[in-house]
Order: sequence, then structure tokens, then C-alpha cells
Amino acid sequence: MLNQIATIIADGILLGLIYAIAGVGLSLILGIMGIVNVAHSAFIMLGSFFAFELFRRFSVDPIVSFFLAFPVFFAAGVMVYRALITRVELAPQTQGLVAMFGLMVLLESLGTIAWTTDTRVITAAYTNRSVLVGPVMLANVKLIAGALALLMIVVFWAFLRYTLTGRAIRAMGQNRFAAMTVGVNVRRLSAVMFGLGIACAGSAGVTLGMVFPFSPNTQILWLAWAFLVVILGGLGNVANTLLSGLVVGLIQTGVAALLPFDYVYLALYVMLAVILVIRREGLSGAVRRQI
Amino acid sequence: MLSVFFLKSKRRRDWRTWFGAGLWFALLLALVLYGLIGTRLFLLSTLGTVFMYVVLTQAWNILGGYGGYLNFGMVTFFGTGAYTSAILFHYFGLSPFLTAPVAGLAAAIAGLLIGIPTLRLRGAYFALVTMIVTLAVQILALNLPYTQGALGIYMQPIGLTPLNVERLFYFLFLALAILVTLLVYAIERSNIGGALVAIREDEDAAEIIGVRTTEVKWIANAVACFIAGVVGALYAQRIMYIEPTGTFQFDISLNTVLMAVIGGPGTWQGPLIGAPLVLLVADMLRVTFTSEVNRAIFSVIVIIIALYIPGGVMGVLERWRRRNRRKALSTADEAIPGPAV
Repeated sequence: MLNQIATIIADGILLGLIYAIAGVGLSLILGIMGIVNVAHSAFIMLGSFFAFELFRRFSVDPIVSFFLAFPVFFAAGVMVYRALITRVELAPQTQGLVAMFGLMVLLESLGTIAWTTDTRVITAAYTNRSVLVGPVMLANVKLIAGALALLMIVVFWAFLRYTLTGRAIRAMGQNRFAAMTVGVNVRRLSAVMFGLGIACAGSAGVTLGMVFPFSPNTQILWLAWAFLVVILGGLGNVANTLLSGLVVGLIQTGVAALLPFDYVYLALYVMLAVILVIRREGLSGAVRRQI
Repeated sequence: MLSVFFLKSKRRRDWRTWFGAGLWFALLLALVLYGLIGTRLFLLSTLGTVFMYVVLTQAWNILGGYGGYLNFGMVTFFGTGAYTSAILFHYFGLSPFLTAPVAGLAAAIAGLLIGIPTLRLRGAYFALVTMIVTLAVQILALNLPYTQGALGIYMQPIGLTPLNVERLFYFLFLALAILVTLLVYAIERSNIGGALVAIREDEDAAEIIGVRTTEVKWIANAVACFIAGVVGALYAQRIMYIEPTGTFQFDISLNTVLMAVIGGPGTWQGPLIGAPLVLLVADMLRVTFTSEVNRAIFSVIVIIIALYIPGGVMGVLERWRRRNRRKALSTADEAIPGPAV
């Protein structure tokens, strides 16, 4: 019994790390730029397929893909920013939402055209192996994915906290116009920030692809998890996002142990509703700023 | 809780207004006549689908177009209605024609369950949650004991010839489309419509001048979901077999958003223009492309419209009309607020 609980907790923490990395990008883009990136999970899906294709064609290990995904998706993010976001930044929020919704559908249908709706898995050498840590059996992939996610989150946190660019980005998040007056190049930094958020999504996709089966048309589920992490943790704060990711992971493994698999989604929605009701104006960042 | 009354239109009526109204009536008359004498099954059924989407898009328009709170998961409520009537038929033998209001009620309750937590907040929470919920509801429909999972539910055939069945649904959906369009027209001319537009334009200001923003959003959403549920129930009877993936197909959500955005959200004419346009293009594309390519093309159209033509067809018309009037008056002292996306 105790063993079982320990397994649930360990599993929950590893899962939570993965959820946290899925949420970080969404949280930063929403918190700092005020953009509701509904296409976030589509980029996560593309990240998974990025690793899948590299693995299948060139047998590149997913761990390597994780680091490769970052620059690739950063570039993609900057491109999306230049092509799409700059045009709707000052328009009413609904207009930006519709555009991002279109982007999400576009990416999903392109994914379906390229890879069909089949469910895929990445089977590296260490998949299906596990190690015994004390009394707890842990799957290797989860350990690796969790470690990568943690590394990424820590790097992100340090970047925002200690580098000049990071500070400028945070300043922009606090007050865009004040940051502009003191000489922050808001345009360029917004592009960087959006690129970083998408890069995060891509890398998160790689870690998710290592652990879970994936297909283009179920990507929206990741949006649900990422969104849950974000509203629980608040916006634009990496440390809080990590914490809320862990909480969500623990709740999920806890619920999954008690209920049949399919009701996890019901629990997810109930959680979402409860948090939204309790944290009413907790997301002040998004309330103040529009796209 | 809320009092509803009509606002006086400030727009001057001239011959153009009557001409426009005449055109709409002529179109309506032509459609009714065709429904009575037309014999081409394909055309009747396509037009029936157009009317169905007009109803759905008008429903979406209430909160999405006027209020600016986008529902990216219209199919959730549509499917809830379809399943409600199917389950009522399967277990109690009740015809969907009778249970359509019940199905609407079930969908409205689903709408309230989603709307109450999310519409109290500003911003994109409602849009995000409606988008997310579709897949969750689909999974529930696949796994709940009384929906028969992937097996689906068969409905009772109506004892009519195929042509007459199509004719029946043609007139049913046409009638619904007229009713809902009248409703949206009335909303546009009422204080509720004004409140919704105020919410879209500036919610803080709306609250300050005394609009009960949260309640208005809840009601608008519940009404929209009710309509979607009724349509879903009729749809279930029309195709006579429903199962989770076909009923909760994402295309329905996408189509409603697309039709509203193309036609012009926040206007009662928008859905009437958008629905036939989109379905026409979809039918033309379907011949050459698979549904995924189709969807990709439509998503590109959505992006282009959001970026370059906010307001859709009606927005373009409005801008053109305003320019003409300004030319005529040459004193541009009256500014008419155009609809945002």
C-alpha cells in the first residue's frame, strides 16, 4: 500500500514536470505579451512529430531532438510573430483569437495530412525499461523526460531572472509602455519572447512524445493540461508554473488511481471550473492587457 | 432580473432600406416556392444543410458576434442536443420532434455549466474552455454506459419517401432559420444587444454605466446553446444514426466560426451571407480535395480574414456605405461603429 502511494507520488511528480514545461510557454506568452496562444498545443504536437521523424528517418535519439527542437521552434515562433501577431497586436482581442484559432486548425490539419490520425509512439532503446529507486519502480522515459523538463524550466527561470534580456522581458510584462520609454526595444523583444514560448512548446512536445502516444488530432488535450497548469499557477511566473505543474501531475495520478481512465477528463474539467471560480481575478495580467 | 425593451433605431429609413427588405423577402419567397415544387434531392438537402448552419451561426453570433466572446466549441452543445434526443428515443421511444426542446434545454444546461465559471471572467477563458471541452465530451460520449459508445444510436426512420424527408427538413430548418434570424434581429434592436455590443467594445465602461455584464453573457450563451441543442436533435433525426466521432466532429465548430467571420459577426445579415458561401466553397472543394486539405484551406481563409478583412462581407459593405455617405454629406460628423471580428 505504502509502496503504491510512493509510486503514485513519484509518477505524479515526473508527470507534473512534463505538464509544467507544457504550461511554461503558454504562461509566459500570456503573462508577458497578453496573447492567448490557442495554437500552443498544435506546436506541442509538431514537437512530438519533430522527434518522431528525426528518430524514424535518422534514428536521432529523442534526447538530442529535445535540444534540436529548441532553435527550430524558436525560429518558427519568430516567424509566426512577424507574420501574424504584429498585425493583430493592437486590434481587438477577438481578432487575434480568431487568427490564432485559424493557425491552430491549420497546423492540426497539416499534421493530419502529413501523418494521418494514427497514434504514434517513439520507441528508443530505453523505452519500456525501468529502474528501481528505493521501493519505487520508475519508467526510464519518464525519468529522462522529467529531468529534461526540469532542466529547461531552470534554465528559463535563470534566463528571465539574471540576464539583461530576461529583465527587459519582465519589464515589458509589467508595463509595456514604461519599458518602451526607458529604451527597451519592445518589438524585438516581443518576437524573442514569442519565439521562446513556441520553442518551449516544441521541446515540451519532444518530452511528451517520449512518454505518451500522440496523434495530430488529439493535440487539444495538451492545451487543456497546459491551460490548467497556467491558470493554477498564474501568469508569467516560471517558478509558480513549475509548482502548479507538480500539483496537477499529482492530482492526475491520484485521480487515475481511483477512477477509470476516461473520467480523468471529467476531473480535469471540474478542476478547471473550480479554479476559475476560486481564482476569479487572480489572472490580473490577462485582464489588464489585450492582444 | 433583466428588463428587455427595444431601442429606437436612429438610422434614417430611405428607399434603400425598403429595397433591402424587399430583396430579403423575395429571396425568402423564392426559397419557399422552391421547397414546394423543387424535386432535385441534392439541391433540397444541400439547402437544408445551409439553413441548419444559418441557425447555428446565428446562435453563435449572439454571444460571439455581438458580445465578442468566441465559442470555439459549438459542436459540444449541438452534440449534447443530438445525444439527448437520441437517448430519449432509444430508451423511451420519444420522437426527436417532440423532444427537441428538451434537447435544447440539456444543451443550455451544458452551456451554463461551461459559461458560469468562465464568463464571470474577462478575456479568452470562455474561448479556451469551449475549445478544450469538445474533446472531453466526445470521450465521455464514447465511454458513458448509456450512449452505447462507438456503436452509436440508431433513430427511427420517418415513413416518407426520401424526397419528402428532405423536403420536411428543408422547411423545418428554413423555419428555424427565419425564427432565429428574427430573434437575432430583435436582439440587435433591443437593450440586450446594446449591452452585448458595449461588452465587446469596452467591458469596464459597460459595467460602469450599469450593464449587468456577467448576467447578460450568461443569458446570451444559454440561449445560443439552447438553439444549438434543438438543431442537434433535428440533425440526429435527419441522419438517423449518431455516434461520437461523427456527431462531435470539429468541422461543425470550425464552420460556424468561419461562416460568422466571413459573413460579418455582430450583424444579423452576416450568417445569412456566410453560411451559403462557405458551404458552396466546401462543396466545390470536396470534389478535388480530402477533408483535411479542405480544412487547411478554410483555416488559411480564417487567418486571412482575421488579419486583413475584420468584419467580413458586412464589414466591407459597411465601410463602403460609410465612405459613400461621407462623400454625399462631405461633413463626416456622424460616426457609425463598425463591427469588429
